[in-house]
Amino acid sequence: MQRFARPSLDTDEGGLWAMMDREETRLRRSPFLLRDKALTQYVQDLACRLGGDHCPDIRVHIVRTPLFNANMAPNGMMQVWTGLLLRVENEAQLAAVLGHEIGHYLERHSTERMRDAKSRLAFAQFMGLFGVVGALGQLGVLAGAFAFSREHETRADRLGMQLMQRAGYEGQQAAQVWENLLGELKITGGEDVGKRSPMMATHPPVETRRSDLLQLAGEGGGKLGVAEFRSVTAAHRMDWLQDEIKRGQFEESLVLFNRMLAAQPEDAQALFARGEIFRQRAGAADLPKSLADLTASVAQEAAPVQAYRSLGLVHRQLSDTTQANQAFEKYLSLAPDASDANLIKNYISGATL
Amino acid sequence: MNFLKSLFVSVVVLVLVGCGTTIVKVDGDQVVNGRMRVSLSEAWNKVTPAGGNQPYEVWTQEGMALDQLRLWAALPAGSNLVAPPKNVPSGQTAPRVPTFTAGMQPDQLVNLFEVLYAIDGSMVSIGKVEPTVFAGERGVRFEFAVTRKLDGVQLSGVGWAAVRKNELYAASFVAPRLAFFPRLAPKVERVVQSALIQG
Repeated sequence: MQRFARPSLDTDEGGLWAMMDREETRLRRSPFLLRDKALTQYVQDLACRLGGDHCPDIRVHIVRTPLFNANMAPNGMMQVWTGLLLRVENEAQLAAVLGHEIGHYLERHSTERMRDAKSRLAFAQFMGLFGVVGALGQLGVLAGAFAFSREHETRADRLGMQLMQRAGYEGQQAAQVWENLLGELKITGGEDVGKRSPMMATHPPVETRRSDLLQLAGEGGGKLGVAEFRSVTAAHRMDWLQDEIKRGQFEESLVLFNRMLAAQPEDAQALFARGEIFRQRAGAADLPKSLADLTASVAQEAAPVQAYRSLGLVHRQLSDTTQANQAFEKYLSLAPDASDANLIKNYISGATL
Repeated sequence: MNFLKSLFVSVVVLVLVGCGTTIVKVDGDQVVNGRMRVSLSEAWNKVTPAGGNQPYEVWTQEGMALDQLRLWAALPAGSNLVAPPKNVPSGQTAPRVPTFTAGMQPDQLVNLFEVLYAIDGSMVSIGKVEPTVFAGERGVRFEFAVTRKLDGVQLSGVGWAAVRKNELYAASFVAPRLAFFPRLAPKVERVVQSALIQG
């Protein structure tokens, strides 16, 4: 498919490109831009393999925000949010999402959408999805997945599937992305969320979308790219897990962390993350669960230092001073300059609030 | 006439066209939620956003986009630190907001504020955390940094929290890291130092 020429500035499409250029300039300066050349290049290379001849026009930007989102503007700016990178399990699932976004780009859906927008508000809402900010709070974990019409989404699913399979990836992974998200969507959307769109009645239900993708994928196998994906994201994963915890959406996070631990039961970071969620939620049955997860985390060689802190806090809440102090001492020995060192030393000394 | 004059002099009410936000000048002794007295040596602007049903008071020196001092007094256990969003799509339940519960430890109180400031997608990192006395009660003081999602502005923050009889008393302040925070933080410290629980 031929690359797109920059439209003239005196056309509506040219105006849209200019707006996106300005947004991209802003994005390049944003403190939310993740400045990791290796990771950005990895995602850029993947987008290039999917985009084929359009590769020179695609510019990938990784944005540190703990929600599931990727989008591609008509000028070639592609944003991939870290909440998406935390949630996909392999390169094939990432390829599925990027392929879908490239599908929107190839069919110039954003231009059509702009022309369809019936009001300034509708246009502003649509454009907002391409900004660094995005429509955060209202869309929850699936920020930005409902920017286009039903027909556009269906076409992008089809094109995305073709692109990912042409690049050698297992097509079923596109359906798995929705399967995985369904659990999180049920927390605020209810058990029947899969039977309808969580955001817009005009959009295909998640379950329909998942089954359509499975049908499109057919029987063919393909590459998963688990090791490559884990290797390139490893340096950031702990930060992304902590960003997820800070969302304060405990039940959604538990769905995610349960899924991670089902795949890798001895994942020290995920054990910490789930234990920390139980600790912070502090429901009637949460502390023993937190204790079990954090104990399992620190038993691993790759235990994050934060796990010792959390373990000490849980033991303290359970009035086990000896175990609490042991964990706190370990935490302070591993992180002597910890910003909360004075508070922890206060706990060790036995002072109470 | 005197009444009208004193009202005009001591209370400046700005009703912002279109959004219904009110701004009132506060000075001297103030009581937050009828339970926490603070003595102000200089005036602040008390801001009540449209439909303001927040469980805290918010004060500012330079405007809400620049600095915000939030004050909670006698927040009962089981209460949210911030009102849940109202515009939840039909068929969905509202997302969680930080909730104060009985028996929370200092580290858990700090977590509440970490989530509070991260709730809009902003990046929050907690800095120094240490025991302190706030409003006459033993509590916790914490410093933090926020990268605001809305515009990428880097903010510095400081907070205090204490619990008395299963009620939360707290204050938190944020302002741009450069110029505003260093200039305004001493004013905030003076407000916080004067805080005292009533009753």
